[in-house]
Amino acid sequence: MEIYLPIAEQSINVFVLLGLGGMAGLLAGMFGVGGGFLATPMLIFVGIPPAVAVASQANQVIANSVSSLQVQWRRGNVDLRMGLVLLLGGVLGSSAGVVLFTYLKRIGQIDFVIAVLYVVMLSAIGGLMSFESLRTYFRQRRHPEAPRGKLHQHYLVHRLPLKMRFYKSKLYISALLPIGLGFLIGILSAILGVGGGFVLVPAMIYLLGMPTSVVIGTSNFQVLFVAANVTFLQSATNGTVDVVLAVLLILGGVVGAPIGSRLAAKLPGVVLRGLMAVLILAVAAELLVELLRAPSSPYSLGIREVLR
Amino acid sequence: MRRVLLGLLLCLLAVPAFAQTPRLETPPPSVPNGPPPSVPPSVSTAPLPDSAIPAAPPDLVMDLSSARVSITSAFQGEKLLLFGMFDPPGEVVVVVQGPPARETVMRKERFLGLWLNTGRQGFDDVPAYYYIAASQPLQRLLARGTGGEILSLADRLASVRSVGSREDSELTRFRIGLTEVKRREGLYPADIGQVTIQANRLFRVDLPFPSRLPEGIYDVRAYLLRDGKIVAAVQRPLPVSKVGFNAQLAGWASRNGEFYGLGAILMALLVGWLGGTIMRRL
Repeated sequence: MEIYLPIAEQSINVFVLLGLGGMAGLLAGMFGVGGGFLATPMLIFVGIPPAVAVASQANQVIANSVSSLQVQWRRGNVDLRMGLVLLLGGVLGSSAGVVLFTYLKRIGQIDFVIAVLYVVMLSAIGGLMSFESLRTYFRQRRHPEAPRGKLHQHYLVHRLPLKMRFYKSKLYISALLPIGLGFLIGILSAILGVGGGFVLVPAMIYLLGMPTSVVIGTSNFQVLFVAANVTFLQSATNGTVDVVLAVLLILGGVVGAPIGSRLAAKLPGVVLRGLMAVLILAVAAELLVELLRAPSSPYSLGIREVLR
Repeated sequence: MRRVLLGLLLCLLAVPAFAQTPRLETPPPSVPNGPPPSVPPSVSTAPLPDSAIPAAPPDLVMDLSSARVSITSAFQGEKLLLFGMFDPPGEVVVVVQGPPARETVMRKERFLGLWLNTGRQGFDDVPAYYYIAASQPLQRLLARGTGGEILSLADRLASVRSVGSREDSELTRFRIGLTEVKRREGLYPADIGQVTIQANRLFRVDLPFPSRLPEGIYDVRAYLLRDGKIVAAVQRPLPVSKVGFNAQLAGWASRNGEFYGLGAILMALLVGWLGGTIMRRL
């Protein structure tokens, strides 16, 4: 069943979009990350213009994070103070990101930048994950009761000024750290259409040293508002948010998420992370091949300007 | 509690219904500038800039199987039938042109092993769509020249103005690139199509429109040629536009991006919230 997307200006099979949304939801349910980092490249693979894919994916991220935030908020797993500080950076970063996006689109390099950023990011994350899950796997086999590392370490970053107390996270760190982190995630969010949870969550744990219990909720909180900011700005400046596309992705995601969390409960964590790492690396490899292989035609068209 | 559950049930029913709205949309025939749906077949008295066209007898009439191309939610491209009648002897040429626009052609080159856009060239007055069809090989028909009125695809593109200056050989390459891309998108369907003549006076040709079709008023012309001269010509506009739900959404997005953005956010919040709540209770 084909449907015409009014902003992407092309028709596409409804089930492809529902499936992509479902897959993103599945990942969201399994790993607590948004899944946008896989859905956006997939949308580009099926022929949605990258600018529309990114902007509409940001719209989908809103729905995804609000439904996870619902649960996390009720359980009191959101460090509001930390969330707001992150958000300050996030709003600045995503606004800057949209400006950068608009500029790159105008000079015709946006597709290239999106592809390169994805390759770099996905291979880094996929590599780290597979390394980590392999190591855990072998360590578990050798010593089932592996000793835990130090919970909280002190790095150079803890010497930065503007220190703030975050009671819920039991942290006393410089506010510049979460602001800077939020800023970077904001830029990623604007250019790649991802929520950024898959970068934010590890950064919060390893860089900021936040307790794991509040990480997911706080990340959801920040991601929700940053994605809303990106959706608004993309729509206002580029007009590239396709709500029909977004609704289909969201509906797929709504169904996929609970299936994902049920699967996650059944499979052991190491296997799950290993599978995820393979998936991520496969997408990164595909994108890299696209960049390296000579295109079937070197020509493409930029923005069409109707002369009035 | 019971009321909450009832509300949720209603939402559950409403969510798929909402998702289906685009598909169920029927195309209301309301395009501002287009002609009314029942336009009578165009007759050769239509004003044409070319003075070579005799004004008097209706030697040529044509009509289209549809007065407009409506881009609905189910649109997957469309084939329109153009048909008509002419006074023999003679040959028929049909030219369909989409609205002109400035197109920027990008060229990828290998840079540090990666393929990225390195060159760009703008062209003004590029027709969004171009399809020419004839009942005889075009070279033979146009051998005596038609005062530049009828242009083959190659001639039409050769006349496209470039933005800025560049070496001729480079410009030619970009021009070829432009044609390549447009052809890939189905917007320049063929070098030349075939007009079929039946009973020596009826003609017909299929006009293929792809699913990625730019909106605007398309220009449809048919010419009657005798001995390489245009003896009659008819012209009519063919509006191509999104209709119904699609038209509204696209209109909001382009005219009122802020408003549209807020709407998109609210939609996502609502669907995400309800969807999450419902799925957790199932």
